[in-house]
This record gives sequence, C-alpha cells and structure tokens, in this order.
Amino acid sequence: MSKHAAINTFGRSANPAFTKNFGNTYGDIPVAERMTLDGAVNKTGILLSLCFGGAFIGWNIPQLMFPAMLIGFVLALVTIFRSPAKAGSTAPLYALSQGIFLGGITMFFEAQFPGIAMQALALTFGILATLLVCYKSGLILPTQNFRLMLVSAIGGIMLLYIVNFVMSFFGSTLSFLTSNSPMSIGISLIITGVAALSLVLDFDFIEEGAEKGLPKYMEWYGAFSLMVTLIWLYLEILRLLAKIRSR
Amino acid sequence: MNNLVFGLIAVLSLFAFFKLSKVKASSKQLNRDNRINRFGNSKNKNENIIEGEAEEITDEEKKDA
Repeated sequence: MSKHAAINTFGRSANPAFTKNFGNTYGDIPVAERMTLDGAVNKTGILLSLCFGGAFIGWNIPQLMFPAMLIGFVLALVTIFRSPAKAGSTAPLYALSQGIFLGGITMFFEAQFPGIAMQALALTFGILATLLVCYKSGLILPTQNFRLMLVSAIGGIMLLYIVNFVMSFFGSTLSFLTSNSPMSIGISLIITGVAALSLVLDFDFIEEGAEKGLPKYMEWYGAFSLMVTLIWLYLEILRLLAKIRSR
Repeated sequence: MNNLVFGLIAVLSLFAFFKLSKVKASSKQLNRDNRINRFGNSKNKNENIIEGEAEEITDEEKKDA
C-alpha cells in the first residue's frame, strides 16, 4: 500500500511518536504552560533587577566579589549542562551573584577611571536596544551559518582567555589581550563585536521558543542566556574603555 | 554632566528594550527558509506530504504499466 493510500484509509496519525517527527514537537503542552515573549521579557526584567541589587552589594562590599564570581560560574554551568528545566531557581541566583561580582569590579575600574561605569552601562544597554531593533525589523537575519561563525569565534575567544588565565599562574600574560596597545584595543573591539552579535542569537532563541510554544521554564532559560551575554558584553566594554582611557 | 547624559542613555535604552521586546518580530524575520533550526522545523517536514486524492494501484495495473 502506498503512503498516500494509507493516509486516505487510516487518516493522519495522532500518535505522539509520529507527531513528534512530522508535526509540532511541543503541541501537546497546554497553552497556559507554554513559553511566551511577554513571560521571557518579564523574567529578563527580574534578572536585571537582581543583578543591579547584587551590584549595589558588590560595590559596597568588594570582598564578596571573587566568591560571588565562582558561585555564578558554577551556577551557569549547572543551568546550561545539568538542568535547564531548573533555570527558574538557578538563574535568579546566578544574576544576583554575578551582580555582586560586577559591582565589585566596576568599583575598582571607577576608582581608576572616574565615569567609566556609566559609560559602559550606557553602551551596553544602547547596543542591546539597537540590536533588538535590528533583529525585530529583520535588518539582521540570523542563519545557521551566522550561528556557526559566532560559536566558532566564541570558542576561540574562550580558548584565548583560558590560555591567558593559565599563563597568569606563571607570572606571564598574553600582551595582546591585556595591554593597551592599538592591537590589543583592536582585539578588544572584535571581542566586543562578537559578544554584541551573540545577543541576536538570544533574541532569536526567545522568539523561536515562544513561536514553537516551548515549556514555560524556557522563559527563565531564555532570560538567563540573555543575561549571560549581557554580562559578558558589559565586561568587555568595561575592559575596552579602560584600555582606551589608560593610553 | 557626563554621568547624567550616559545615565539617561542607559535608562532610555532599557525602556526601549522592554517596550520593543514584547512586539513580535517582522514577517521578514519570521517567514524565511534559512532560519536556525533549533527545535525541529515542522514546516519543512510537512512539505513531504502531498495533498489530494490518492489512488490504489493494483498489481495488474502495475504490470500493464
């Protein structure tokens, strides 16, 4: 019996195993339990508020900076690799701990270069809003190749940071990453660009997740991934501005 | 003064972000074939199903053909 004759005789299958392959994977989730754009945006707002709260603590008690950074790092790894479904509990803790770290590190930069914190904050949120406009209007169209290119670039940057971190134990660093030479500033600019473009992938993830009706907890996961990128972007901008101003 | 200007930019950008985030992306962004396929693209898979009446072909008809 041909495939089409089978469809005519028995109709379309309602078996979830088949709908998984031929239809919408998340179609069986009740509407109220599906991810929405509004939900993801509200959760991003909650995480941002927690991050600002943490930054206030970190600014006033900078001794908490490094423990908070380590806790945040572990929480991020747990959320990404162990349990995205528990992002609702790990993401707020991540935002709070990273906020404490950012508050402490910003205080040190601000003491050295007055006004740098507000400049970095304005640039970070300015880039966030601008890229969102570009994404929503269709000016930037993230494709599979775009994602591959960005993931490769992020992998390379992370490798450089790990090498630099290991070298720092032996009293040496990669000068093109840490100095204030024109080459180092250029590399910082490229890294900031990669961090900024990663925001587009996060917007696309949230938009597609809401469109496909993923489970509700993915709102937290989407907001968490946006926070990770935002924090990275802020740190890169802070480093870039510090390099420029120290010349 | 600088801090005030940069603070204002930050607040306005955040406001724009929260307002615009809740708006659905343009059709140019959503209705295209080269989107990132994260969760399985049902659209492409459905394209394999041809709508219309099906005819059963008997063995005799097959031999005649």
